[in-house]
Amino acid sequence: MVFSQVIHFLQNHIYYIGAFGLIFIGLLIILVKHNLIKVIIGLSILETGVNLFLIAVGYISNGTAPIFSNPSVETQRMVDPVPQALVLTAIVIGVAVLALALSLAIRLYQHYGILDLRQIREQKW
Amino acid sequence: MDDAGLFSGGPNPILLVVVPLGFAFALPLIGFVSKKILKYIPVGVFMFNLVVALRLLPLVLKQPILVEIGGFSPPFCINLVAGPVGILFSALIALAGLLVAVYTLVYIKEGPEEKYHILYLLLLTAATGVVLTGDIFNLFVFFEILCISSYTLVAYVGNRAGIESSVKYLIQGAVGSSLLLIGIGLLYGLFGTLNMADLARQIVSVGSSSAFIPMAFMITGLGIEAAIFPLNSWLPDAHSSAPSSVSAILSGIAIEVGLYAVVRILFTLFGLSSFFLFFVFLGVLTLLIGEMCAFSQNNIKRMLAYSSIGQIGLILFAFAIATAYAVTGGLFQMISHTLGKGLLFLAAGYMIVRSGSMEISSLKGMGKRMPLTALAFTIGAFSLVGLPPFIGFPSKFLIIRSALAEEALIFNILIGLILLGTVIEGAYFFRVVQVIYFQKENEHQKRHEAPVAALIPMFLFMIAIVAIGIYPKLVTGILDSAASELLDRVDYIRSVIQ
Amino acid sequence: MRSIISILLLAFIAWGIVTVIGEIPFGTEKSRVGGHYVDQGREETGASNIVTSVVLNYRGFDTLGEVTVLFVAAIGLGAALATRRKKEKREIEPASLVLYTGCRFLFPLILLFGGYIFIHGHLTPGGGFQGGAIVASAFILVYLGCRGRRISETVSKTIESLGGLVFVVVGLVGLAVGGHYFLLNFLPKGELNTLFSAGIIPILYIAIGFKVGSELAGVIDHLMEESE
Repeated sequence: MVFSQVIHFLQNHIYYIGAFGLIFIGLLIILVKHNLIKVIIGLSILETGVNLFLIAVGYISNGTAPIFSNPSVETQRMVDPVPQALVLTAIVIGVAVLALALSLAIRLYQHYGILDLRQIREQKW
Repeated sequence: MDDAGLFSGGPNPILLVVVPLGFAFALPLIGFVSKKILKYIPVGVFMFNLVVALRLLPLVLKQPILVEIGGFSPPFCINLVAGPVGILFSALIALAGLLVAVYTLVYIKEGPEEKYHILYLLLLTAATGVVLTGDIFNLFVFFEILCISSYTLVAYVGNRAGIESSVKYLIQGAVGSSLLLIGIGLLYGLFGTLNMADLARQIVSVGSSSAFIPMAFMITGLGIEAAIFPLNSWLPDAHSSAPSSVSAILSGIAIEVGLYAVVRILFTLFGLSSFFLFFVFLGVLTLLIGEMCAFSQNNIKRMLAYSSIGQIGLILFAFAIATAYAVTGGLFQMISHTLGKGLLFLAAGYMIVRSGSMEISSLKGMGKRMPLTALAFTIGAFSLVGLPPFIGFPSKFLIIRSALAEEALIFNILIGLILLGTVIEGAYFFRVVQVIYFQKENEHQKRHEAPVAALIPMFLFMIAIVAIGIYPKLVTGILDSAASELLDRVDYIRSVIQ
Repeated sequence: MRSIISILLLAFIAWGIVTVIGEIPFGTEKSRVGGHYVDQGREETGASNIVTSVVLNYRGFDTLGEVTVLFVAAIGLGAALATRRKKEKREIEPASLVLYTGCRFLFPLILLFGGYIFIHGHLTPGGGFQGGAIVASAFILVYLGCRGRRISETVSKTIESLGGLVFVVVGLVGLAVGGHYFLLNFLPKGELNTLFSAGIIPILYIAIGFKVGSELAGVIDHLMEESE
C-alpha cells in the first residue's frame, strides 16, 4: 500500500522533484565547494532549478503554448502564461548575476592568483 | 504631463521611479555631450524626487494612492501602493540620495565616474521601487536591481578588499534572491496570484502551516539583504570596503529597504502573529552581536558597519513587538539610523582621506585638523547612541517605552539587554570621539578641512538630526499613520482591491 | 564536517518543501490570473502570443525592471573590469580563410534571424530577449571566428541607452495620453495575427531586442578582452 502511494506521489510530483533536485544540488555545491568557479556553477544550477520549478507550477497536463497561432486553438488546454513571463525575467536576472560574478572572479584572480575561497580571507570578523 | 496628476490632485507616484530610471538610461548619451555635467544629474533627479515625495505626503496621509500600471485593474496588473509608508521612505531615500550625491561631487574623483553615477541612480531608484510596489514579483525585480548595483558599487574601487567582499556579498545575495524566488513560486502555486493585497486576502483563509514554508523562504532570502543575524556575515566587509559615499547609502538605505521588505511581508502578506516573538529574540541577538563586534574593531568603517547591524537588530525588535507604538518607534529609528549613519560615513570618509588610514588610532587630533567634520562625526555618534537633543533620543525612547508597555517579564529582560547594547554602543563611540578630540597628535599638522561641497550635506544632515531631535512632532504624525498602514492588513487589502 | 552539516540543513529544507508541495497539485487548472490573461488577453492587448502580452502589457513594469537589471550588469561589468592594468597586446594567430569567410557570411543572416524573432514577438514564440540573445550570438561568432574584430563601444552604448529610453518614453506617453496609467497601450490594437497589431508591444520589443543584443555583445566583448 505504501509502495503504491509512493509511486502515486512520484507520478504527480516528478517535475517538482527534478526541479528541487537541481536546487539542492546547487545549494550543496555552494555550501561545500571552495573554488569560486565551482560556486558560480552551483549558483547557475540553483537558478536553473528555480526556473524549472516556476515553469512546473504553471503547467497543465497535455497543455499547449498560450499562443493563438490560428483562431481555432482552444483556450482550455493552454498552460498558465504568468510563470513563463516570470521565468523570462528570472533568466535575464540570472544571466546578469552570472556575468557580474564571472567578471569579479577574473578580477579576484588578478589580485590573488588563486580562486580558492578558503585562502582568500583578508577580511575577517 | 501635468494632466497626469489630475486624477489624484498631485503628481503621479510612478514618476518617483520612472524619472530616475529614464535619466539613468540617458546618462551615457549625456556623457557624449559633456562629461562635466554628469555628476550634477543625480543631484537634480533626487531633488525632483524629494519635491514630488513631499508634495505627495499630505495627500497620501488622507488616502493611499493606487497606481495601476498599464491601465488594468488589480490583481491583473502590477500596481504601486503609495501609502504613508511608501511615500515616507521615498522621501527619505530621495533626501539621503540628494545629500550623498552632493557629497559625491567632490568625493569621487577617480575610476569610471560615469558608471558610478548610473549605478548610484539605479540603486536608489530600485530602493524607491521596492518601497512603493504592491506586487510580490515586482518587489523581487527591484530588489535584484538594488542588489546587483550594490555588488558593483562595493567593487568600485577595485582593490583587493573591495573585490573580495563584493564576491562574498554576491554569492550570499544570489542565494538569497533564489530563495526569495522559490518562496514566490510556492505562493503563486498555492494562491495563483502575485498581487500582495490579493495574496493577503487569500492567506487568511488557509491554515498557517502551508503559508509558513513560503514565508520562511522569503524571509530567509530577504534577511540576507536586511543583515539579520545569522545572515549578516557579508555586511561588515562590504560596507567597509566600499567608497564612503556608497557605504552611507548601503548602511542608511539598502539594508533598511531590505528590512522594510521583511516587515511588509510579515505584516501585510502573512500577518502570522505567532512568530513575532521569534523575531523579537532575533532582533535582540542581532543587536548584541553587532554592538559587541563593533566594540572590538580598530577600523573605523568596520566599526560603523557593525554598528549598522546593531541598529538593524534594534529596529527589528521594535517591529516585532507589533503594537502601533512599537512600529512607530521602529520607523522612527529607521529615519534616525539613515540620518545618523549617513552623517557618520560621510564625515568618516573625509577623515580617512585626510589621515590616509582607516585605523581609529590614526584619527588623533582630527578635532583640530578638521573641526567641522569632527563636529559632524560627534553629532552623528551622539545621535546614534541616543543622547538628547538629537533624533536618536526620541526614537530609542519610543522603542523602550513601547517594550515596557508589554507586560511580560521576558520583555523586561530584553529591555535590559537592549540597554546593555546601548551602553556598549556608547562606549565605542565615545572612544572614537575621545581619540578625535583629546589625544595629542604626534607631529603638528595644519588645519585641512573637507571641501565645502562635502560639508554642506553634512550640515544638512546635522540640521535634520537636531531639528527632529528637538521637535519630534515634525515626523511623529506621519509615522503614526505609516505604522497603522503597516499593521492594518484589512485596510491595505481594501485600498487595493475594491 | 561542513558537508555533513550542509546535507542536514538541506534535508531539513527538503522536509519543509515536501509538506507544502503536496498542496500544489501538478498539471491542474490555471490560476485565476492566468486564466483571465488567456481568456481576455487577445481583446485587451491585441497580441496573439499571450506570454508576450503578459510580459509587455500586464506585467510590463517587471520587464522595465528586467531591462534595467541587464543594464546594471553591463555597466557593472564594465566598471569592475575598467581599472585593470593595461597589458601589451599579444599576437593573435589569424583565422584561416574558410573560417573567416564563413563567419562573415553567416553574420548578417544571424542578425536577420534575430531581428525576425524580436519583430514577431507578439505573434510567434520569441521576443525581444530571445531575439537580442540571437543577435549577440552573431557577435560571438565574429569574435571567435574573425579574431581581432571589435564592436565600437560608442555605438553599443548609444543603442543601450536609446533602447532603455524608448521604453521609458513610450510608457510616459501612455501616462500623458491616458491620464493615470503608465505603460498604457495607447496605440490602436489592429487586427489580430497581423504584424502591425498589439499597439505598443512591437515597438517595445524592438527596443528591447536592440538593447539586449548590444548589451550581451558588450558583456562578451569585455570578457573576451579580459581573457586574451
